Amino acid sequence: MRRLSFVIPALVTAWSTLGSSSSPALLPDALVSRQLFEREHLSVGETVELSRSASGGAAKHFRIAGVYEPTPDPMRFAQERLELRVHLPDAEGLAASGPPGVPVTGINVQLRDAADAAGFASDVERRLPGVTARSTSASDDRVATFTVLDRFHLAIAIVTLLGSGAFLLALMVMLVDERRETVATLRLIGLTRARLVTQILIEGALIAGAGAAFGIVFAAAAEPAFNRFFQWRYDTALVFVRVTPAIAIRSVAFAVPVGLAASAVAGWTVLRRRTLLQVGR
Amino acid sequence: MIRRAIALAWLRVRREKGRTILGVAGITAIGALLFDMLLLGNGLLVSFRERLDRSGFDVRVIASESAVIAGPPIERVTAKTAILRRAPSIAAVQRVRLGSADVEGVQAAHHVTVAGVDPDALVPWSMIDGTFPSVGGPPAAIVINRNMSRVFHLMVGSRLVLEGRCGAALHPLPLQAQVSGIAAFQNDATDALTAASSYAAVAALCGESDSDRADMLLIRSNAAAGGADAAAAAARAALPDLHVLTNEQIVERFSRIEFSYFRQLSSVLTAVTLFFGLLLVAVLLTVSVNQQLGEMAALRALGLSRGRVMAGVLCESALLIGIGGTAAIPIGGMLSIWLDHILRSLPGIPADARFFVFTARALAIHAALLVAGAVLAALYPMRLVAVLPIAETLRREVVS
Repeated sequence: MRRLSFVIPALVTAWSTLGSSSSPALLPDALVSRQLFEREHLSVGETVELSRSASGGAAKHFRIAGVYEPTPDPMRFAQERLELRVHLPDAEGLAASGPPGVPVTGINVQLRDAADAAGFASDVERRLPGVTARSTSASDDRVATFTVLDRFHLAIAIVTLLGSGAFLLALMVMLVDERRETVATLRLIGLTRARLVTQILIEGALIAGAGAAFGIVFAAAAEPAFNRFFQWRYDTALVFVRVTPAIAIRSVAFAVPVGLAASAVAGWTVLRRRTLLQVGR
Repeated sequence: MIRRAIALAWLRVRREKGRTILGVAGITAIGALLFDMLLLGNGLLVSFRERLDRSGFDVRVIASESAVIAGPPIERVTAKTAILRRAPSIAAVQRVRLGSADVEGVQAAHHVTVAGVDPDALVPWSMIDGTFPSVGGPPAAIVINRNMSRVFHLMVGSRLVLEGRCGAALHPLPLQAQVSGIAAFQNDATDALTAASSYAAVAALCGESDSDRADMLLIRSNAAAGGADAAAAAARAALPDLHVLTNEQIVERFSRIEFSYFRQLSSVLTAVTLFFGLLLVAVLLTVSVNQQLGEMAALRALGLSRGRVMAGVLCESALLIGIGGTAAIPIGGMLSIWLDHILRSLPGIPADARFFVFTARALAIHAALLVAGAVLAALYPMRLVAVLPIAETLRREVVS
């Protein structure tokens, strides 16, 4: 038999839909999170002692009925999910056996009409002072958190784009400069500046497009490894990276104009010179 | 030889001003990002440690393993506080009871968090205006943060009524209070509404005047009697049922769990940025060397040793990365202010927390990575120069 000490908020995630234990003669059942199950080397059918107090006082016995994978929560991915679930009456009994406290910290309510949620929440708050009620669709800190993280990642992407844009420009200038004499020869045999600029722009767009496509393929190929690493690191089923069509389109939309701009500048550095000077005359 | 190699590299770099400026600009941008990721790696922890130390307490006692207050309260806290105060390694003990409340007649976005403490012990906040009297009301004396002052239009001397939203009682009696001071509270989020009053007042606010419990005990150690470790050991011996954490242990736990996302992100982005920068500099140098193979062969034919020409390429790489990497430090510093501003808008982040903190260690790692980057980026172009067939290259140059 193991002795486990838990804080009561963890127990209050007890599910109330399953009802109480099937028979008073049997020990009440508990479901254990996979993380807790593995860390404590528990086994299904094993009996454990649960207590609200750190000293293990006033403990109650439970039988481990099974293991569950906690719903991945991006707000809690860095925290160990050491949790277990018991029937609500058993959780209340456990709370009553310890120091006095509030046995239930949350009640989920399903309304007949979801559109009434805001009105219902304000009605509950007015009728029950001390109780906080809010609609599940109301904006909360989670939305704000991920909006901020998205803004942070975008800022990093912009800086990376600026750096790579400068490098791309340097490379394009060098590549076009290398073909200075060829460009001059083409001008001498009659090709217009506009045609040469178009050719350079097409080349730049092709290079940028191919680079962006390679980047997307590389990101998609690296996605499973990246996810597996972080899922292992944080012991969670959460998906950290997902290359979606929207992200792919966004990266192409950034990369191709940068490539075109670099090509245009590089082309201009060559074509602005006099043709005869470029062939050494 | 090194001076000559540097001089040769400098001449080559100066001759191609345009591409040098572009290359340096690219390295500056990538280097600034690299520098920021190094600042981010430890920034939150350094900032967190500073804030913990500033509070004046170096040991915390709570009833659960969690480093944040999420567990059951500490029962019979008066007796426990008295036991701790007798330990020679402990200079001061403060009990903290947390409750929440609304201000009567005013709708606010959040509830007010109210901390109850012993007014005659060391308090975990800094007074900005007014005082926190050791003898309480009625009305109960409370100190409030600037947000409360602004949102509820309160100042020192203002009266208010708090309606408790804590404890087991459904309808605790409203608490008559008077603002005695405005304070800066540790760990206050930018939009937090925080107040503090006496322990008894907060117990009454939650409808539990007869209870003897607290959410946390704060301990200031006696430096002359062994410091935080000795105080923590004394607290563990006296209260074996509770969990005792020094500031050092809290920082260590947060670095391992709560703050690990930013550390991982910083490590991944550092590696990616470094690889990216390395690749780009190597490509830039390789293209540059390929364009100047004829000149290299001519220099070799004139008598310059292979080592000197190779050293010239290495110095060119070092110059590009050195100039760009140095410029990256002030640019990175400015960029970190912007990135810090973005991240500090995360909900619940303490107003004085910083994600990017300059440390000598970060600067040293930045320099070491750039030096390693300069060497690695130059390896392939140096090899091109080393195996250059002089006669064949010169002939090809003349024929073309």
